Amino acid sequence: MSSGPLLSVRGVHRRFRTGPTVVHALRGVSLDVAAGSMVALVGRSGSGKTTLLNTVGGLDRPDAGSVHVDGTEVTTLDEDGLSRLRREKVSYVFQSFGLIPVLSAAENVAAPLRLARVAPAERERRVELLLELVGLADHARQRPAELSGGQQQRVAIARALAASPRLLIADEPTGQLDAETGLSVMALLRGVVESEGVTALVATHDPVMMALADRVIRIHDGHLDEEAAGRPDEPTPDVR
Amino acid sequence: MNRWLTRRWPVPHWPSIRGRGRADAGPLLLTAAVIAAVALLAGAVPALLRTAADNAVQDTVRRAGHDPNVLVHANWERDDGPTGGRIRIPRLPEDIDDFRARATYALGPELDAALRPPIAVVNGPSLSITGGTEPRTVQLIYLAGDRGGPDVTWIAGSAPGPAVPGRSIEIPYNGPPWPVQVGLSEADAAALDLGPGDRIPARDGQGRDKDIRISGIYRPADSADPAWQLAPALLRPVPGADGVGTTRYAGLLSRESLPDARLAFDDDQLRRTVHFAPEPDALTWAATAPLVSQVVKLKATSGPSGVRDDSLRWESQLDAVLRDARTQVSAASAQAAVLLAGILAATVLVLLLAAELLVRRRTPALSAARQRGAALPDVGAELIIESAVVSLSAAAAGLALARAVAPGVSWTWAVPVVLAGAVAGPTLGILAAARASRDRRQPANPGARRWILATGQLRRAAVEVAVLLAAVAAFVTLHERGLLPVADGGAAELTGDLVLPISAVAVGVLAGALVVLRLLPVGIRFALRQALRSRRPLAVFGAARAATTAGRALPLLALVGATALASFALVVGGTVARGLADGAWHTVGADARLDVGADAEAATPALAERIAAAPGVGQVVVAQVTDSARVFAESTLLTPRLVIVDAAAFQGLLAATPLPDAPALGRLSAPGPGDVPALVRSSHGDLRAGTRLQLARDDAPAIRLVAVGTAPSVGGADDVVIVDAAALAEAGLSAVPNTVWVTGPGAARAVSDSGVAADVVVRADVQRAQRAAPLTAGILRLAWTAASVLLALGLLGLALAAAAGAPERWQTLTRLRTLGLRPRDARWVAAGELLPPVVVAAIFGPLLGALLARLTLGPLELRLLTGQAADPATVLPWGLLGLVSVALLAAAGAVVPVESALRRRDRLSEVLRAGE
Repeated sequence: MSSGPLLSVRGVHRRFRTGPTVVHALRGVSLDVAAGSMVALVGRSGSGKTTLLNTVGGLDRPDAGSVHVDGTEVTTLDEDGLSRLRREKVSYVFQSFGLIPVLSAAENVAAPLRLARVAPAERERRVELLLELVGLADHARQRPAELSGGQQQRVAIARALAASPRLLIADEPTGQLDAETGLSVMALLRGVVESEGVTALVATHDPVMMALADRVIRIHDGHLDEEAAGRPDEPTPDVR
Repeated sequence: MNRWLTRRWPVPHWPSIRGRGRADAGPLLLTAAVIAAVALLAGAVPALLRTAADNAVQDTVRRAGHDPNVLVHANWERDDGPTGGRIRIPRLPEDIDDFRARATYALGPELDAALRPPIAVVNGPSLSITGGTEPRTVQLIYLAGDRGGPDVTWIAGSAPGPAVPGRSIEIPYNGPPWPVQVGLSEADAAALDLGPGDRIPARDGQGRDKDIRISGIYRPADSADPAWQLAPALLRPVPGADGVGTTRYAGLLSRESLPDARLAFDDDQLRRTVHFAPEPDALTWAATAPLVSQVVKLKATSGPSGVRDDSLRWESQLDAVLRDARTQVSAASAQAAVLLAGILAATVLVLLLAAELLVRRRTPALSAARQRGAALPDVGAELIIESAVVSLSAAAAGLALARAVAPGVSWTWAVPVVLAGAVAGPTLGILAAARASRDRRQPANPGARRWILATGQLRRAAVEVAVLLAAVAAFVTLHERGLLPVADGGAAELTGDLVLPISAVAVGVLAGALVVLRLLPVGIRFALRQALRSRRPLAVFGAARAATTAGRALPLLALVGATALASFALVVGGTVARGLADGAWHTVGADARLDVGADAEAATPALAERIAAAPGVGQVVVAQVTDSARVFAESTLLTPRLVIVDAAAFQGLLAATPLPDAPALGRLSAPGPGDVPALVRSSHGDLRAGTRLQLARDDAPAIRLVAVGTAPSVGGADDVVIVDAAALAEAGLSAVPNTVWVTGPGAARAVSDSGVAADVVVRADVQRAQRAAPLTAGILRLAWTAASVLLALGLLGLALAAAAGAPERWQTLTRLRTLGLRPRDARWVAAGELLPPVVVAAIFGPLLGALLARLTLGPLELRLLTGQAADPATVLPWGLLGLVSVALLAAAGAVVPVESALRRRDRLSEVLRAGE
C-alpha cells in the first residue's frame, strides 16, 4: 500500500460527442483523497459528478490525465486489470441497488467473494459479519423483493464492502429512498467508513450526506470549483 | 347529459405516431415482414390446394381406368314374329343410335359436360372356340360412336355384310344356326390361323354350334381410338379374360351384320351398352359433388334388370371414384389445415414477442407521454393506428404476392395473423402506459402481498387449465369425429366444427409448452441450488440470471411451440415419404416387375434366366398372376388374384425386400396327399385359414384347394390366393408364368432390356409417380415448407426474446462487472441465462412434436396420400429433428457473441447510467 493519498486524480479531461455537439464533462480535474476519509461530491445534474466517479472507478476512460487508486494507475489498465481492480480495490453502490433478485441477501453479499474465489467458510463468516454490520443479520435469507428499499441499499452496501475494497464509490446512494431511510443509509455509510477503514467517494445532493462527509467537493461544469470541510466533529448518527 | 355525448373521441397526435414509427422502424419492419410472409403462405396454400384438388380429381379418374365409365344398358325390343319365329330387324343399328342419344339426353347437362362422347357397344356371349389345345373364347362385338364405329382398313376380304339380302324375314326358333359375318383383326386372325371366308368354330355354353363367318381382316386406322379400349380383343388376343389359361378373341360386327348377330344368339344373349368415358380435363373439384349426385340419381332411377322393357339401366363407379378423390382431397385439405394452423399459432406467438420487444423499447416514451398528460385513449388510438397500418399493409402485400403465385387467394387464414399483429402491440403498449401512471405500489402488508401473488397465480392457472381443457377437447374431437370430410365449399375451406380438431396439434403444442413452462423454473431453481453449493461463480450467476427470466412465458412458448410444430411437420413429411416408398414396394413387389404379354408367356422362364444373369440382379422369381380368377368357396364365386409361384423362391424374395415376411409360404410346398395347400387373403373375411376352395377351369374338373394360412399382400390386391406352382402342377394345372419379380440394383435395367412384349414396372418409377401426384406432392412440399418456416419462426423468436431481455441482462452483467466479473466471463453468464429455455426447447420441442404426431397421424389419414391399405407407420426422422435442435442451439450460441459485440461499443458507465 502506498504512503500517499489513496486516490489521486490529475488533470483529467473527458469529452462526450453527441452528434455535432461536444460536451466537456470534465475539464482538467485534479483531486487527492486521503485513505479512510469520506468525500462528498456535490453538484447539479450534468455537472460531471457521475463522470468523475466512473473515471475514478475505471468504468470510463478519460481523454487525458491520470487516476491512481491505491498506487495503481487506473487509466492504463486493460479490461482484465480493471476487473482485478474492481474485484480487489474499488467497489460501487448505485442508486438502484443492483441486487440479483433470485438470490437471498446473504447470497447477494457473497457475490464479490465468489468472484474473488474466497473459501466457503471464510465467505460465510464474512457475509455474516457484514450483514451484522448493516443490521440485516435477521434478513439474511430474504430475497430483495422481500426487503424494503432501505434494506436493499444496506445489502448493496454490505456487498460493496464484502471484498474489503480500498475505495467505495457511491453514486446517489439515497436517491431512491425516502428521507428517513436515506438518513439511516447515510449514517451506515459513515459508520462503515470508520469501522472498515474504507475510503468513500459519494456523489450526492443531500445536505445531510454532505454534513456527514469529511470533505465536500463541488463540481460545476466539469471543474472542481470549491472544496470545503465537512463536519468531522459531529457525532455519527446511529446506523441501525 | 348522456356520458356518450360528452365523451371526447380519442385524438391521435400524428407527430408522435411518426416519431415512434421512425424510432422503432426495425421492430415494425420485422413485424411487417413476418405478417407479409405468413400472409403469403396462408393466402397461397388454399389456392394452390384448390388447383391441386382439381388436378387430383383428374389424376384419380385417369388412374381408375374404365372404372369411372358410365354405362347404360337397355333391353332390346322383342323380335317375335307373327308366325311364332324371330324377325330379322334391319333397323337395329338405328335403334342403337337412338339408344345412345336417349342415354346422352338423360345424363343432364353437368354430367354430359364431364363425359366424352358416348360409344355404344353390342356384345354377344363368350363362345368357346373348338379345336386346339389351349382354351380359347370369342365374342362378337359391335361398336358405334356418334360418327359410326372406329375406322379400319380392310387388308383382306371386306366388311361384314348381311347374311341375307332384303329387309325383313322371319326365322324359326329352332332352326339351324343363323349365319353372321364378322371381321377379324390381323393379330386375331394370325393367332387363329383363319382368313376371309373361313368360319370360326365356336359354340355357346349350351354346346350349340354357331355359324360365324369371317368376311375380312382389318387393321385399325388408329389403335388408340377410345372405342377399341372397350373391346381390346378386337385388336389382339387377350389372355385370362375368361379364366385362367384362356385367351379371348373378338369378331367385329358391322351395321349390316348386327341384325344377323341378334338372330345368331338367344333373344337376351346379345347385350347393348352405351359407354361414357369421363373427360378428366373437364373435371374440377367443385364439380365433383353435383356429378356424384347426378350419377347416384341415375343409378337410383334404373329399372330392375328382370323387367322386359327398354328402360335405361345405369351402372357406373364414377360416383365412387369421385368420392374417393373427394376423400383424398379432404384428407389433404385437413392435413394442410393442420400444418397451416401450426404455422399461424407459432406466428402469433412470435408476433406477441415482437410486440413485447416493441413495448419494452417504448415504455419510457409512453410513460413520459402519460406523465405529460396524454390520455390513455389517445395513446391507444395512436398505437392502434400504427399497428393497423403496419399489419394491414403487410398482409395486403403478402396476399398480393400470393395472388401472383396462385390466383384465387384466400384471406381467411391470414386473419389471425393480421389480428395478432394489429392488436398485440397496442394492448401491451396501453397496459405499459397505464402502469406508468398508476399509483399502485407494492403493499407493505405481507398478507396483502401474498393475496396479490395468489391472485396472479390463480389467474395464470385458470388460463393454463383452459388451454389444457381446449387441448383435451380438441384431441377427443379429432379422434371421435376425425378430420373428414371437410366442407363442401371447397378445398381448405373449413367449417366451424373442424376448427377444434384441426387446431388440435397447435393447441396440444401450446399445452405441452405450458407444462414445460411450469417445469422449467423448478429445474432452474434446482440448478441454482446446486450452483450455490459449488465453487464456480459463473454457474451461480448464470443460474441466477436464468432463474430470474425463467418465468417469462412468451419466449419459452414461442421456442417450444415453433420447434415442436416444426418437428411435427418433419414427422408428417417423413411419414408420407416412407409411406410412398412402402406403397411402391407393395405395388411392384420387388425392385422391378415384368408383366409379360400373352404372346411371350411361353418364353417367360427363359427370360427369367436371362434377367438373373444380368449384372446387379439379386433375385428373380416368376409367377402366374391372374386377376379375377374364378374360385369357389362353398358355392360362392370369388374373384381373387391368383398367384401361382415357387413358394420357396417367393419367400426368399420377400425376405430380401422390405416387404413383410410370410413364413406361411413354407407350408405351401410341403408334400402331402389331398387338397392343394393355399394361402389366402381377403378384405371382407371371405377367405381365411381352413376354408376349402375350388379353382374352376374350363373343360376340366376344378382343383380343390385348402387355405392353410394368410397370404402376403401381392400388388395391393384385396383378395389373394397363393399356391405353389409345383403342388398345383401335381394336381394337374401347369402354371404359365406371366410375371417376373426382380430385385437388386440392376433390376430396372435388366427388365428394361428384356426384349420381349411386356409391361415393365419399376419400383422407383412407381414411387416417383406417386410422389408427383398432385396432392401428395403438394402436401410434401407444404410439410417441408412448414418445417422450414416454423424453424425460421423459432429462430426469430429466439432473437426477439434475446433482444427483449438484452437491456436487463446486460445491465445485470455490467453490475456484475463492477464487482469484478471479467468481460469474457460475462459472456458465459449471458449464455447461462439464454441457454436453458433454448436447451429445453431443443430437447422437448422435437419430443413433443413426435408425441403429437403419434397421437394425431391416425385421424390425418395419410394412407389416402401414400396409396397404402393401412395407415403408414409413423416415421421419426431423428436426423432432421436433431438438425432442428442443433439449429436452435447454434443460434443461441451465436446470440451471445453478437450481443457482446454490439454491447462492446457501450461503455459500462453508459449502461449503468441508462439503467438508473
